[in-house]
Amino acid sequence: MASAAHAAAPEAATTELREFFVGTFAEEHQILEVTNEARESGLPIHDCFTPYPVHGLDAAMGLKRSWIPYASFAFGCFGFFLAFSLQTHTQFVDFDMVQLWKGWPIIIGGKPFLPWPAFVPVFFELTVFCTGHLTVLTYLIYRRILPGVKPKIHIDGVTDDRFALALDPTAAGFDEEKARALFAKYGVVDVLTVEGKA
Amino acid sequence: MSATASHLREPLVTGGNPRLGEITDAIVAPMENKPSGLWWAAFVPALTLFIAGFSTIGFQIAEGIGTWGLNKTVGWGWDITNFVWWVGIGHAGTAISAILFLFRQKWRTAINRSAEAMTILAVICAALYPLIHMGRLWFGAWWFAPLPNMRGPLWVNFRSPLLWDFFAISTYFSISCVFWYFGLIPDIATFRDRTNKKLKKTIYGILSFGWTGSNRDWSHYEIVYTILAALAAPLVLSVHTIVSMDFATSVIPGWHTTIFPPYFVAGALFSGFAMVLTLLVIARKTQKLEHIITLSHIDNMAKVVLATGMLVGLAYSTEFLIGWYSGSNYEGFIFFSSRMKGPYAWAYWTMISCNVISPQIFWFKPFRRNLALVFVMSIFVNIGMWFERFVIIVTSLNRDYLPSSWSMYSPTWVEILEYLGTIGFFFTAYLLFVRFLPTVSIAEVKMVASWAQKDAHASSHHHAASGAAAAGLNPVPASPKEEVFHG
Repeated sequence: MASAAHAAAPEAATTELREFFVGTFAEEHQILEVTNEARESGLPIHDCFTPYPVHGLDAAMGLKRSWIPYASFAFGCFGFFLAFSLQTHTQFVDFDMVQLWKGWPIIIGGKPFLPWPAFVPVFFELTVFCTGHLTVLTYLIYRRILPGVKPKIHIDGVTDDRFALALDPTAAGFDEEKARALFAKYGVVDVLTVEGKA
Repeated sequence: MSATASHLREPLVTGGNPRLGEITDAIVAPMENKPSGLWWAAFVPALTLFIAGFSTIGFQIAEGIGTWGLNKTVGWGWDITNFVWWVGIGHAGTAISAILFLFRQKWRTAINRSAEAMTILAVICAALYPLIHMGRLWFGAWWFAPLPNMRGPLWVNFRSPLLWDFFAISTYFSISCVFWYFGLIPDIATFRDRTNKKLKKTIYGILSFGWTGSNRDWSHYEIVYTILAALAAPLVLSVHTIVSMDFATSVIPGWHTTIFPPYFVAGALFSGFAMVLTLLVIARKTQKLEHIITLSHIDNMAKVVLATGMLVGLAYSTEFLIGWYSGSNYEGFIFFSSRMKGPYAWAYWTMISCNVISPQIFWFKPFRRNLALVFVMSIFVNIGMWFERFVIIVTSLNRDYLPSSWSMYSPTWVEILEYLGTIGFFFTAYLLFVRFLPTVSIAEVKMVASWAQKDAHASSHHHAASGAAAAGLNPVPASPKEEVFHG
């Protein structure tokens, strides 16, 4: 269940409009409790929508911890490697592997050609540069959060003061009566059917 | 991470428990209403200065660096002074956003957004100076970059701190932009969803990247934000460290100092927090955000100014100690004769009074909460820190090793107008920012405001705490709840 939640990311998603069965709530604790109970009672949770990151909601929805930090680490290694090769090649190595350009080690003030302490600032800066930019790009592309993209779903108030739980009525285990009863138990404000993309 | 609102601390949002919608209303109000007369009164002079200053830059580029007051002895003057001053100011934004975020200092939420914007604008002003001080910047601009070229190739010299600076400033600028905009996405979506003006809806729709508030997005978002903060925190320290190495790796007395990196970082935070105070004291009033940017925020910032001010004072005295203890005649001469008693002694004593002496009043709480006083003090610190850089640069250069080369330096109208132009640009862009983007992080303020409600909730409804426990959460311990919030 938990792994399915992240695996069903936008890649697998269809772009067709579908209907979702949505309950909106006014309080943070309500969304936590209703989501938790929905998961435990086997109702198919599509997503939750909140005006701010609600701590504990990942656990309530059964989401796994993000994999993005592993990617960040790889980007950091790449940045370090880039800085290392850039500096050693331009300052020292006669780089003419394919005769693209030929390095020219220059004596500057009698300083050594490979003074590693002098390379540390650029190691650090390029590592940070690559990690930061590539991590954000990875996130934005993975979640399809990009300039000009239309919101996949619009539920009134969830960017202001409402917390919404969207159930997937087409999935196995969906039971409208059960869902309505659950929403009512936790003080639902509105029960809606909202069209959106998965 | 504990989400409990401490009853020992003052609430982060005052005036009772605002509903979430009220927070949105308060923060986006300046974006929805017509600008006030006060806004125009600030915008018009700022824009005028901006245009005048940037036209002067055009004149300087056309005429050449000879329009500046530099000479053979004093080769760096207002240009590098302003560069370091602006970079320093640009430090508070990331410090507030990243370092305070990692240390879970929740009070940052009210001020981080405008401080980040300030960072970006200040770094733009700063980066301008290395470019224009090269004179023929159409060559110089790309000489910085390690690009293959037709001279051998003759690569840039990675052993030079000036090149480290190029990497540091460009990384800092671009990461700060990403950090700022990444935090803005959910808030822009908030505005997109509430405005009913068609043009605004379209523009903010494009800018909000299709944000829906989905928890699947939030789940990764918080992790990415934390990674950015963890990268930006050492980055902000590295930038001024590297700027200080522009000086420290030279052999000029007064610059050749191992204490420079921490000394510059402390000074940068000092001036940066002062500039944030300058802006926020005005912004909270004009934008009616007194319950979100509270007096306790101002109080906290004043404490940081006091602490960093004393670090700077410690650095000044350490320099004097080493000037004497090293036994180096040149060091001793610069500190004890040139700076304290030389022709620029007035600049030196301005620096000491603004940076070391006057911030001491922040030991006392009533002064930290007196807005007029805090405002004046923040201006003093800005002035003092400008003079610090001027003193470091000019007093070390104007007394050369060879007394026959001794020389004086004073700026020309070109340098003065260019400096005023950067200030004009800074305020023009900041004022546009407060008109068109949410100046306070709406999502984060809602988060901190929700804790107070959780607190209230936990003590009044037992089933909630047990429900939270069932959800695998730390139930919020019931704590005595203050009925009256005071600000």
